[in-house]
Amino acid sequence: MRISVAECVDAMRAVDLVGYADRQRLGEALSSVLAKSSDEKEVFKITFERFFSSEGFPDPCQGIEDASIRLDLRASDSTLTGLLVSGTTADLAMSVREAARAVDVAGIRFFFQRGPYIQRILHHMGLAGLDHDIEMAHGKDRPASQRRAKILELARSRLFENVKSFVGRQYTLFAGSSTEGALEEYLRNARLSELEERDFHRMYSIIQKMLKHLNSLYARRRKTSKRGQLNFKRTLRANIAFDGLLFDRRWKAKKIDRPDIIVLCDVSRSVNAVVRFLLLFLYGLNQTLVKIRSFIFCSNLVEVTGILDSGLVGEALARMLSGAETGVLMGLTDYGEVFREFEEKWLDTVTGKTSVIILGDARNNYGDPQTEVLKTIYRRCKRLIWLNPESRSIWGTGDSEMNRYSPFCHLAKECNTLRHLERVVHALLQYSLN
Amino acid sequence: MQREHARKFATRESILQGLQEVGYICAGEIATTLFLAYHLEKPILVEGPAGVGKTELAKAAAAFLGLPLIRLQCYEGLDESKVLYEWKYGKQLLYTQILRDKLDDIVGSSSGLTESVQKLHQYDDMFFSPHFLEPRPLLKALQEKDGVVLLVDEVDKADQEFEAFLLEILSDFQISIPEIGTIKALSKPFVFLTSNNTREMSEALKRRCLYLFIPFPDPKMEREIVRTHVPGLSERLRTQLISFIQQVRELDLRKAPSVGETIDWARTLALLHTDILNPDLVRETLNTVLKFQEDIHLVEDHLQKMTQKAL
Repeated sequence: MRISVAECVDAMRAVDLVGYADRQRLGEALSSVLAKSSDEKEVFKITFERFFSSEGFPDPCQGIEDASIRLDLRASDSTLTGLLVSGTTADLAMSVREAARAVDVAGIRFFFQRGPYIQRILHHMGLAGLDHDIEMAHGKDRPASQRRAKILELARSRLFENVKSFVGRQYTLFAGSSTEGALEEYLRNARLSELEERDFHRMYSIIQKMLKHLNSLYARRRKTSKRGQLNFKRTLRANIAFDGLLFDRRWKAKKIDRPDIIVLCDVSRSVNAVVRFLLLFLYGLNQTLVKIRSFIFCSNLVEVTGILDSGLVGEALARMLSGAETGVLMGLTDYGEVFREFEEKWLDTVTGKTSVIILGDARNNYGDPQTEVLKTIYRRCKRLIWLNPESRSIWGTGDSEMNRYSPFCHLAKECNTLRHLERVVHALLQYSLN
Repeated sequence: MQREHARKFATRESILQGLQEVGYICAGEIATTLFLAYHLEKPILVEGPAGVGKTELAKAAAAFLGLPLIRLQCYEGLDESKVLYEWKYGKQLLYTQILRDKLDDIVGSSSGLTESVQKLHQYDDMFFSPHFLEPRPLLKALQEKDGVVLLVDEVDKADQEFEAFLLEILSDFQISIPEIGTIKALSKPFVFLTSNNTREMSEALKRRCLYLFIPFPDPKMEREIVRTHVPGLSERLRTQLISFIQQVRELDLRKAPSVGETIDWARTLALLHTDILNPDLVRETLNTVLKFQEDIHLVEDHLQKMTQKAL
């Protein structure tokens, strides 16, 4: 959530007006000033609860059997002992918070820092003095002193627990986001083929974030004006001041249409992971931004637009990529055959405005590459983009036909991380707006 | 007038009570936001599903304060001239024609072009004075002496240029007209912006406003709302009705029924003088609640079960 300085000032003024006596009212007031969308309101609610959680500080001295034997405060006692013995839980809570501020617990970043912070807070509160008193009480032989020592030890361990849970809460509050951030960075740049199932969940949420960004960025349908056609109605309206004289001319504007995209994806095992994410990406884009037709291939070519258009893309993808139900033959990848089939059945749908994306590693198993067909497609479409999950250095090695195919591609890129995919989609959407 | 407003907005409770008196039942959060908006002098951006009471809030606020409501409905292609001000071109031309003789007299006594022009300069601003200015909603809102409630409805339907244009007004409550100068608000209007969330508002606009999200109400509040708007309904029927509607909202519909539709349905049932909910009656009156055929089909499948549960 981004909060500007002006909003901070407003928040201060709001607190000034509302006061902080009533927790719910304070929450509502801050929420209307700081959270500016329904998602942000959710985030705000969670953070507010965490930050202002009522400290359940149980009384360290409770549960001691002999309530009549209240410990007396001795003059020689340290401040902490005094606090434990005669202070209220509120005083104790205040003391912990002061100590926390003094050691800057807000700077906590990693889970292994919790231990040191606990120690520092306790030290600041005067743990040394408490320990000293306990020792002294143990040292004396009288039963009253022994009891005192026991009680103080109990109180000490309870205090330790309190501070530990306090630091834990601070950790979730302050450090949670930074570790998440580091993990996210790593995932964005990780090779998709090396990811494991357990990372997929996080990947989906990262993709959602990217999509939201892309959708809002390109949602503005920019108008270009095609000069040459006078918009008569607008011109007259604009020239009322001049009594209808055509002084200030207005022209007809043409809105940019959504790009037409055809995606051909190789679903053989090697390319599987990237395909899944690319399709997720493309289908997550707003319907008003792109028109997509998708195909999958291995030994033959099958159209899957219908499957993906209806319903949840994630599920459909999982089904598709296992090869079932779609009619794709999962044998040896044969690019030549695939291109030939495309030319035969679907070349008519490729117009001068279509962008064709091919996602595959160009490994043809030494079959016939059929580059002529690719050339035909290349000539017909607006542009042909080849996304290869392998790294550039191994293009052309072994049975890879990449070098034969790349002259007939407008763009041939290495694509195996989320970052690459994002850039490709940016390029797709941007290009069409120019 | 100001003092009276200050009294009405003294506490959150007084606002809540006042709104209730004019017939608008709402959650405490809304009252807090109104309270802040009045004291911080900021506009309120209200978002939420369709029919949940966003426009009603502005109307209720106007009734509560006893101020007139100026409404500006936004749509794509809305531009400055329709929203801010326009010159009365016809009147200007007419007056020039009528006063042509007079103008001749003024200029006639001078010789040469320079002197004539200088003479006319004295009367320069005559045809561009406030007499010839046609104020549109925004300018009207600024010119009211006692203050006014300004409702900018469905601001997400307007385009980016309009949003950018609104920014100046919303932050400083003033407009600059090239010929006349800057017009400041005589008293700051209370501004409501409503949005159906079809697109994201720009950051700059959001920053200047307080944000309020009105969700679907919980059963208790909805019962109160129906009680206020349709008093002729028995309590038993009311409870059954609300229970049914809440169940309908949980289904995967194209458009979930909103509060407005609940009230319409309650009115229909009141007109039919029914006492208790039964499946046939529900089936017949379902089209007041649902506005898409596919939704009606979906609910009809579950009708028996849901009516049983509501009873």
